Amino acid sequence: MTETYSPAQVVLQVAQLTHSRLSAFVETEAVSPRQTAAGPRFEAADLARLTLLCELEELYGMTPEALSVLITVIDQMHAARQDRRCLMAAIAQEAVEVQMRVAAILAGAVPDPV
Amino acid sequence: MAEKTAKSTTGDDPYAALGLTKSASEADIKKAYRRLVRSSHPDINPDDPQAAARFIRITAAHDLLKDPATRARFDAGEVDAAGQDVHERRYYRDYADAGDARQGRGGFSGMDPNDIFAEIFRQQAGGRADGFAATGRTLGFTLEVPFLDAARGGKTRIALPGEPPFDVSIPAGLNDGQTLRLRGKGEAGHGGGARGDAEVNVTVQPHPVFRREGATILITLPITLDEAILGAKVAVPTIHGDVALTIPKGTSSGRIMRLRGRGVRAGGAEGDQLVELRIVLPKAEDADLTAFMQGWRQKDHQEPREAMLKGVPR
Repeated sequence: MTETYSPAQVVLQVAQLTHSRLSAFVETEAVSPRQTAAGPRFEAADLARLTLLCELEELYGMTPEALSVLITVIDQMHAARQDRRCLMAAIAQEAVEVQMRVAAILAGAVPDPV
Repeated sequence: MAEKTAKSTTGDDPYAALGLTKSASEADIKKAYRRLVRSSHPDINPDDPQAAARFIRITAAHDLLKDPATRARFDAGEVDAAGQDVHERRYYRDYADAGDARQGRGGFSGMDPNDIFAEIFRQQAGGRADGFAATGRTLGFTLEVPFLDAARGGKTRIALPGEPPFDVSIPAGLNDGQTLRLRGKGEAGHGGGARGDAEVNVTVQPHPVFRREGATILITLPITLDEAILGAKVAVPTIHGDVALTIPKGTSSGRIMRLRGRGVRAGGAEGDQLVELRIVLPKAEDADLTAFMQGWRQKDHQEPREAMLKGVPR
């Protein structure tokens, strides 16, 4: 079972986090806790996410709205990395000649100068 | 084994770590740190395996220099750069990578194969100017590990093709057939991608004295007839050195004695050693013993096979 944290526990766990910062992050959907009968619940991944958000806020003076945009892009990067890994794993199971052919196509896929 | 980040920040010059000199202003320090975080934060550079080490180093340097009072003390030589231990941190990328983050999940399931390729190649072609980067393949190897090294842990030197030999730590309790993953020892990456891993399949060599079942070590210990009848204290080899074992009076062959905590010690748990006693008669015939046994046979004895012979087809 995944361990979950209440907002109060999250504020305790993440050093730079305050209640008002947490509300701002939830409001701008930079982090989306699971809604349960006992109130919102965060997971360990959310804690790491909030640590990153606090760091970026403090260091670059980013607003919660800006952070929400940035973290969405970071999520998309991770999704793309996962896709790439799945694809690489699938290609790795293919015969060597197929791998060579795919690699040749990719090597030829140079972006057209615009 | 968990990936450990550098424990201490070493005695590096914090100014050098930030690409600055002692004359840097407070604003210079902040600016340099902001710039370096962009290129070194593991969550922003998840494909860079060295990012975490750099991030720890520059953050330690920044922590030391950001406060004018601490910085003045450092400049005066009152505190040194090796100050703080950095505890292991789980970055957001660790969760996102493992698919533990609920937001922004990827995956191809349910998509048309044609769409998958169209999507990927569109990304590749329209994307980064540095082209296609891929992590090198995982390469497989096999390794024979001596029994005692596998049971107690140790180091072994390993030579992979095209690579100078290097030491590999063998964790205590390594099992036959287990695979050790050596990060970055596989095939070279493509287009600037990271090197793949090597997977080493382990064969544990047998030992002439010890056998192993998980964390339990088994041995068969020969004892003499008098030790079995009269009892004795004998030395028993264990993987951690000899231990004295008391053989009780009137011990039958095949009896198993347990030596607690003398087996494989791994992961905070201690296995036991089981000692199977086997009575071994003297090689040469002993006339006294034979005479005594002839007399002994005349007496009335309990038949040890009595119970066994009931209820089996005769």
